[in-house]
Amino acid sequence: MKTTLAIAMVAALLSASALAADKYPPLGPLPPAPIPKDNPQSADKIALGKQLFWDNRLSGDGSMPCVSCHLPGLGWGDGGQISRGYPGTKHWRNSQTVINSAYYNKLFWEGSVTSLEGQAPSAAEGGVAGNGDPSVMEMRLRFIPEYVASFNKVFGSPWPRMNDAYRAIASYERTVISETSKVPFDRYMKGDKKALNASQLAGMKLFNGKAGCIQCHNTPLASDQKFYDTGLPDFPGFKDDPLYQVTHRWEHYQKGVDEPRYRNADMDYGLFYVTKNPKDIGKFRTPSLREVKYTAPYMHNGVFKTLQEVVDFYDQGGGKGSNKTALLRPLKLTAQDKKDLVAFMEALSMTEPLIHEDPKLPGDYQPLPAPVK
Amino acid sequence: MPAVKPGNAVMIELGKYFFFDTRLSGDWGVACATCHDPQKGWGDGQALSTGYPSMEYFRNSPTVLNAKYRQRFLWDGRLDGSDAGTLVRDMLTETHTMNMDSRLMQERLQQVPEYDALWKKWRKDDINGMRVFNVIGEFIRSLETINAPFDKFAKGDSAAISAEAKAGYDLFKGKAGCVTCHNGPIGSDGNLYNTGVPEHPEVLKNPLRTITMLRHYATSGMPNYMNFRTDVGAYAITKKTPDIGKFQTAQLRDLKYTAPYMHNGTLATLDDVVAFYNQGGGKGSVLKPLNLSAPEQKSLVAFLLTLSGDPINVKDPGQPDMQVRTFGKN
Repeated sequence: MKTTLAIAMVAALLSASALAADKYPPLGPLPPAPIPKDNPQSADKIALGKQLFWDNRLSGDGSMPCVSCHLPGLGWGDGGQISRGYPGTKHWRNSQTVINSAYYNKLFWEGSVTSLEGQAPSAAEGGVAGNGDPSVMEMRLRFIPEYVASFNKVFGSPWPRMNDAYRAIASYERTVISETSKVPFDRYMKGDKKALNASQLAGMKLFNGKAGCIQCHNTPLASDQKFYDTGLPDFPGFKDDPLYQVTHRWEHYQKGVDEPRYRNADMDYGLFYVTKNPKDIGKFRTPSLREVKYTAPYMHNGVFKTLQEVVDFYDQGGGKGSNKTALLRPLKLTAQDKKDLVAFMEALSMTEPLIHEDPKLPGDYQPLPAPVK
Repeated sequence: MPAVKPGNAVMIELGKYFFFDTRLSGDWGVACATCHDPQKGWGDGQALSTGYPSMEYFRNSPTVLNAKYRQRFLWDGRLDGSDAGTLVRDMLTETHTMNMDSRLMQERLQQVPEYDALWKKWRKDDINGMRVFNVIGEFIRSLETINAPFDKFAKGDSAAISAEAKAGYDLFKGKAGCVTCHNGPIGSDGNLYNTGVPEHPEVLKNPLRTITMLRHYATSGMPNYMNFRTDVGAYAITKKTPDIGKFQTAQLRDLKYTAPYMHNGTLATLDDVVAFYNQGGGKGSVLKPLNLSAPEQKSLVAFLLTLSGDPINVKDPGQPDMQVRTFGKN
């Protein structure tokens, strides 16, 4: 032990980058996704979940299936700064990618739910998202014979149940995972030393060292799954668009903030909505950096269009915020440093986008068969 | 009809705006007035109501006229007629009618300066929750039959209705026995009866309608709801077997404008309705055949029409726009 510690200390003295890299769980090749014991994977369940993910009948007025804000061709987000939201509303945050969401222990930007099984209903039923009533969505499924058969096969119930629909969707989402054989960084870590070019290798060194990205973007997911205030600029729509203002106030009410904060709300409070601790105002969960090549725009409010802009923001030491993390400080990166960092981040993405073809959906609603015992 | 204290004028004015405003539905697809159209007798003119986009309903959209005289609301009589606000809340928030999150509705309305200004004439607080429902309720309660020939007749103008209608009135009170259930100022005792109105075949033929029916059963806590294939009426609420197929006595006011008739619109004309009761109603009916002659049936219809007044035309006041508010000062 003593020897190990001594060596570590010497290494730390020798190199600042080594210090950073040793202190935090390192990046590494992506392991298989964790599967919860109470919702095991099966081929039938995954296939059912994929259909449900695409099926517009799982939304209030038949216009907002999961896939409408999580499109494979747009990095499994919706490509907009702010997610489009249910008709008649505007959402208030950026639609996150589904890719690798299986690895998160908390979902949504403020970490308000702890499983994909919990995320799906919040999205399908939320007033500014799917706005579906679970009782009517469940009844719709029962009038589609292919679904009745599939739910029966997968879950053993005589009729489809909404909770099972969410379990199937979660199972499907656990298959939306980076293919590591196509991720240069993962290939490099598994021994293919030619998988990263010189710029990307230089970027990796900066990432682990001088730029300090590893402080938060660590572990194979490139996220510590913790919450920070980086002082991001606010989304301007809250100031100049009536529909964004409606959603902004509604979210404050929904999330149970006190009246003065509801009345004076002038920002997205982030983690505060969950903890109600003023020290958590403005904190958001570190997003994974995997597949960022395909998931622009960036941040919880999509304020940055390119990775270059993101790197510039951190190079300045982030922005202003009452709880801004002390981990951020000006980095004094050179133009080449920034290029290298972006090149390395792109090496955490597949060389071609992860696309799933549209599934074949069950047909139209059918009249119910005769009553069953 | 008896005189009733007039409602709060500001509430009624606001309620009129809200009644026609599509932003009171989840996706702005429908307003109250979509299924309660002043031009269609404040119903929608269809046998079965359409409901929220992507859905179709399983019962007829009734007129909202004379709400203040109703003892119960909805065909299965599940809501108290003295509380129009709760009726409005149900219609706005139910997924198959307007699918509106009520808090989101409140935030939308607050974004409209004209609404805020009107509200402030009435109250100092924000546009809020149950009061929005009550405001629309107050508007509905302001709508009532006016200048019905029968009312003039009842006040002493014997020339206000024809001899045929007078004969019909006698039958109504006597041989035909209508008055047993159809009594009071709007011709409804507010009670629940099974008169054996046939099922509308469309409810089972069109899965979208069966979906809203069985979903209504499920959320009403009805046991074994997946195995019902008929409209059980009040039973879904009471869960008492004798209540299967019972519906509230419909009012007889403004029938001239509110065809088709019955809880599922299966009877297209008043002639059909009278013929239906003349045969003692349908399967499971508590009624007996009446043996009315053809002229008697005709005179009953003539009488029923005297209970209708002038058309109540209220114009859509238009939808004032949402405006930006000062951010952080609400």
